[in-house]
Amino acid sequence: MNWMHGAWAVFEKDVRLELRSRYAINMLLMFVLAALLLVLFALGQTPVSARVQAAVLWIVILFSGAVGLGRSFISEEERGTVLLLQLNTHGSMVYAGKLLFNFVLVLVLNLVAVAAFVVLLSVAVPLPGLLLTTLGLGALGLAGATTLLAAIIARTANRGPLLPVLLFPLLVPLLLSVVSATRAALPGGAGWAGAQDELLTLVGFAGVVITASVLLFDYVWND
Amino acid sequence: MNAPSTRKPAIDLRRYRFVRAAVGVWMTGVIGFAFLRDIPSLEILEHTARNLYFHVPMWFTMMAAVIVAAYHSARYLATDDPVRDVRAEQAARVGFVFGLLGILTGIVWARFTWYVGQGIWWNFDPRQTMVAVFLLIYGAYFTLRSSIDEPTRRARVAAVYNLFAAATMPFLTYVVPRQMPSLHPGAEGSPAFSETDLAPVMRPIFYAAIIGFIVLFWVIYTQRVRTALLEEELEENPL
Repeated sequence: MNWMHGAWAVFEKDVRLELRSRYAINMLLMFVLAALLLVLFALGQTPVSARVQAAVLWIVILFSGAVGLGRSFISEEERGTVLLLQLNTHGSMVYAGKLLFNFVLVLVLNLVAVAAFVVLLSVAVPLPGLLLTTLGLGALGLAGATTLLAAIIARTANRGPLLPVLLFPLLVPLLLSVVSATRAALPGGAGWAGAQDELLTLVGFAGVVITASVLLFDYVWND
Repeated sequence: MNAPSTRKPAIDLRRYRFVRAAVGVWMTGVIGFAFLRDIPSLEILEHTARNLYFHVPMWFTMMAAVIVAAYHSARYLATDDPVRDVRAEQAARVGFVFGLLGILTGIVWARFTWYVGQGIWWNFDPRQTMVAVFLLIYGAYFTLRSSIDEPTRRARVAAVYNLFAAATMPFLTYVVPRQMPSLHPGAEGSPAFSETDLAPVMRPIFYAAIIGFIVLFWVIYTQRVRTALLEEELEENPL
């Protein structure tokens, strides 16, 4: 089987399964909306600085990602389809397919979270292009780091709650860059010129985690 | 019947004991000089400058431990040799303790120099925070290890996580600290000490302390590896 074809087949399978049950997407969206509303209730009428706004947005996104993305390999173990995938595809195809699926999921999640955030907190966004670039690069780094860790936790005994523990320390560089880049896109921010370093760091981070994942994935997958 | 031990000691024990004794003498000398030798007195810094001999070598040692742990994790994935897994774990454990000591010496030092009169113990200094993240990563590594019972699977998964974490560590040590203001020397560019950061009189003791702490790490680490291997052997063939 040709590589692109195999990776796309894994992606397509995941999308079809997701559309059948809509479990992951519903859970992620509910989580984001519930968390944002909780933050709003906690803040009340207090005006919040751009820094806090960006921090709140990304903390909510990271937590919902850590809750929702861990499913991607556990579900294979639960359905007993791991052997089937191992027989029919190469490890890197599975990784690429899952990475693409998780990336799309995080991207949708990010867009919904930002839309809710802009409406609910009534934030003005003078530079929507910069915000979208940040969201895209942040989603790539988040999906890249989470996909390998999801494969790792599918191998552990009590699968669920371990993912945030493994994930959050690794995401600190991503969180710092993404928060300052988001702040640059909000009113009073530094704009494109001020976010250059952060965007480059995000590109580097996504590149590093995806490269490392491609190299390491086979060792987790072919147990 | 007890099966006789088949594992030969990996190193010459006499030479090993010599190194252990030498590091004891060496560190005694370093500590003595560190506390007793005259140093230039600077305002605010005063005698706390002596902490340089302890605080900074902790980081060198922790970085050495991180490299040793990552190296053995990589070798484990390449060879499937269980000894590599034991080595990676013990290097991470000893490195974690050195990191903890480094952060404690740093907190106390900062409290009585940078934040004197303000009563702050912890501030958002990038290096301080990044090192806290290092400790979190190793905490996650130990948690991951304890969540898997089957030894080969545990070794493999832990090695993958360790290498994955090691791949993101350059961001913590090199990229992010340069994007943020810091009170640490080297925040302006190169992380090394410049000519003005370190008085000439302090250099020899500082370098001796770095060497001493790294060798001390090596002694503790190999000792722990030997203990872990013996424990494993005892579990298989109880006396």
